[in-house]
Amino acid sequence: MDHIRWLLGRTAAALLTLLGVSVLIFAAVRAMPGSYTDLVLGPLATRSEKAAAAARFGLDRPVVEQYLYWLRNAVQGDFGTSLAARTPVATEFGDRLPVTVTLTALALALTVLIGIPLGVYTGTREGGGRGGAAGRLVSAFGMSLPEFVLGSLVVFLFTRYSLGLSVGTYVPWSQDPLGSVGSLFLPACVLAVFCVAATARTTRDAVLGVLVEPHIAAAVARGEPKGAIVRHHVLRNAAVPVLTLVATLTAYLLGGTVIIERLFNVPGLGSYLVDGLDRRDYAVVQAGVLLAAAVFITMNLLVDLVSGLVDPRIGTVGKRADA
Amino acid sequence: MRAAAVRVRRALAMRSYDGLFRAAVWVLGVLLLVTLAGPFVGVGGQPDAIVGPRLMPPGAGWPLGTDNLGRSLLPRLLQGIGTTLLLSCLAVACTALISTALGVIAGYRGGRTAEVILRIGDVLYSFPAIVLAVLVAAVLGPGRTAALAAIVLVTVPLMTRMVGTAARAVARREFVTAARISGVRAPTIMLRHILPNVAGTVAVQGTYALSVGILVEGGLSFLGYGVQLPDASLGLLIQEGGLYMVGAPWLIVAPGVVLVAAIMAINLVGDSLRDRFEPRETRSLV
Amino acid sequence: MTAETTPLLVIDDVVAEYRTGSRVVRALDGADLTVGRGERVGIVGESGSGKSTLGLLTGRLLPKATAYPRGRVLVDGESVLDLPPDRLARLRRERLAFVPQDPVGALDPTLRIGRQLRLALRDKPTDLVALLERVLIRDPERVLRLYPHEISGGMAQRVIVAMAMARRPALLIADEPTAALDSQVREEVLRLLFTLAAEHGTTVLWLSHDLGGVARWCDRIAVMYGGRVVEDGTTTDVLTAPQHPYTAALSAADPARAKDGTRLLTIGGTPPVLTESTPGCVFCPRCTSADDTCATARPAPRTVEGRTVLCHHPGPGGTPVPVPDGPAPKAAVPDGQEEA
Repeated sequence: MDHIRWLLGRTAAALLTLLGVSVLIFAAVRAMPGSYTDLVLGPLATRSEKAAAAARFGLDRPVVEQYLYWLRNAVQGDFGTSLAARTPVATEFGDRLPVTVTLTALALALTVLIGIPLGVYTGTREGGGRGGAAGRLVSAFGMSLPEFVLGSLVVFLFTRYSLGLSVGTYVPWSQDPLGSVGSLFLPACVLAVFCVAATARTTRDAVLGVLVEPHIAAAVARGEPKGAIVRHHVLRNAAVPVLTLVATLTAYLLGGTVIIERLFNVPGLGSYLVDGLDRRDYAVVQAGVLLAAAVFITMNLLVDLVSGLVDPRIGTVGKRADA
Repeated sequence: MRAAAVRVRRALAMRSYDGLFRAAVWVLGVLLLVTLAGPFVGVGGQPDAIVGPRLMPPGAGWPLGTDNLGRSLLPRLLQGIGTTLLLSCLAVACTALISTALGVIAGYRGGRTAEVILRIGDVLYSFPAIVLAVLVAAVLGPGRTAALAAIVLVTVPLMTRMVGTAARAVARREFVTAARISGVRAPTIMLRHILPNVAGTVAVQGTYALSVGILVEGGLSFLGYGVQLPDASLGLLIQEGGLYMVGAPWLIVAPGVVLVAAIMAINLVGDSLRDRFEPRETRSLV
Repeated sequence: MTAETTPLLVIDDVVAEYRTGSRVVRALDGADLTVGRGERVGIVGESGSGKSTLGLLTGRLLPKATAYPRGRVLVDGESVLDLPPDRLARLRRERLAFVPQDPVGALDPTLRIGRQLRLALRDKPTDLVALLERVLIRDPERVLRLYPHEISGGMAQRVIVAMAMARRPALLIADEPTAALDSQVREEVLRLLFTLAAEHGTTVLWLSHDLGGVARWCDRIAVMYGGRVVEDGTTTDVLTAPQHPYTAALSAADPARAKDGTRLLTIGGTPPVLTESTPGCVFCPRCTSADDTCATARPAPRTVEGRTVLCHHPGPGGTPVPVPDGPAPKAAVPDGQEEA
């Protein structure tokens, strides 16, 4: 019962956050220099032309009204029309979303499949000594490689020495599903490097934190084999911080696609968003940022849900949840 | 405050750290020295002077090669390191100030105040860092100010939350209760009792924020929203280098290596500080 | 030697040191203890005397950084400090059982009680309901479905006792098993523990602050101070006529045994934190009957009045130091954490 109430509270908070995000985006876009009508009509338009355009786009209404209008449409899936392409933003999203989702999912899969086992392995081995220092060095290195540096390097190496995988040529999903994933593999790897390092490190820290808990000492005292202790008692207890990190990394990945998609010439949401910003394409920017934030907030909510299932104390002791 | 100073000084005492930490501090020290002293000593000459042919590999007159205009890369690199470090440090100083104040208030007051502060932080935190940064830059117009504001807005939410959690834990301790019961005013308690005890968290989070700051500046400049030409920053140099990568890879390698080294050194310092301030018992049996 | 004549537990002149960085803390400084099958031994001493270390030593459960420069530990004739990991695990699983101070912390917070019990006894199919009924848990079906944070400390300790006794261990080490419990349930848990031990023929090593409890439940008592067992004999002998000045002081400082209306005595000073072998007797600085010998020569074990004593001047002479005009009298044996 407590648990359900806690979850409802979390959901309400998430919705509130999302609302805050929408206000902020709307305000930020309105605050950008260069008025919308100038951009539509060009610098030579007359005053009356401008007024007519403003009326057409509803820009002569009070800002609050504009916001509510936008929000109502957005909730219904109508994000307006792209200024540059003269196409509905929602349609464009429909085309580009699968690309970015595939890219992010690939990177996330690599992260989870490599990062977590690596962290558990290094955490349950003896941490000290030369091995520990080497591990720290490698993970610190991985976490210090910005995707624009690593991405540039990869693009360079693969184009210069034609190392097999195609760079900068995206294969649409509808054409060749396998080839599509293949064409996204390299950018996904570049995105994943930071995430793998971060996940391995957080997992290792979480595992080490659990290992000093008294119930592990009790299991050791019962003579349970090390493998069984790790499987039954360590993994589950160490899961919550790792889950939280994975949610945070989703945001990182979504942000990362902005740079990676541009670098690798991938027609996803990230490049759409930056192009939109470059062209002051209000509708695109508003929708893109809102979507990214919504994904992040949803991921966090999901993690809260899963954390509650993994660790029964969460949500019942109240204070633990917000710590 | 003095207790905090003592604690920080003790934590910074070099000899109790391992080699990795010391190496990281050396890297940062050298970067800082080169940046500060470089322009005065005139290492590599003037950043905007054209010294030779375009896109030359490293050679006698241009130790790190020349760029697309025939300028020597070395002085531009030094200038870039300087800009990046200065911007990030300044931004993180602002972040530390804002986050510490908000975090201590949220942690001490709790309740509604904390709720509001953390909720606003959540809203900011919901934006992917680079997206938020680009948005800020689009509003303010690309440039140094935009980069600074972007770094602050990106780093404030997490740091506020961490300081808030730490302050909350301190606020629950007996000596704070005792101070409150004996009638010490709230600002005094926050300043005298809470602040010194969250100093460690501020140091650790500030260090991490610095590496995030450098990343954000880099990404922003890379997308063209950060520091503008003819100024130089590491991100800008990398972006420029990327354009001529195939013919002149040295243009991206040098700033790339410096950027990675700086971030890595800062992260390692942060890790050591964290181990120091938030020590984990080494009592594991397994 | 047959299994019947070997003592169950032999701790022979063990030195144990915790080494962290350049710091060395000597937790055991030549501890000796031999326990026979079926005995119930109470180990008493102030916090920091080395009780917990001694208990954990039995299963080589001290932190990895612990060094053993000297001594040996035999459980059923097997040298615990030399066993390879798999045989050590088997020894812990089959012969030993531990009951810790904090029962709730000793349970995995993420698993239901039933699942934990099944995991712990997965190689030994057991009727869990019956198991819990034997430790007097009412409504065991419900408890099996609960998480550790949903049950009381007393209930958790019963679950721990059930888990420990399910394998019929040869030796049960209980480290202040009632310290974290409400006073009402303390006696019940103790009764449960000793009754089950008697049924299974399990030897009990009870590390305790509670002299009265030890007197009621144990036939033998070992008094520890400064990482050594300083007096070791039958409970009645040691408690009624202590031969070591420290035992005398400890017993006089026990608030439960003080007569009403009399001032409680304390032992002056604090127990030492040892970093190396002391030249003389460790208790010397706090002892009222110490002389030059005590400061320079380490006392060797000697047999006095049917017990083993580590003192140059054994005898009932050691009077505890009375409190001068101090503030409120305080027990010299505070409840609290053992040595780190």
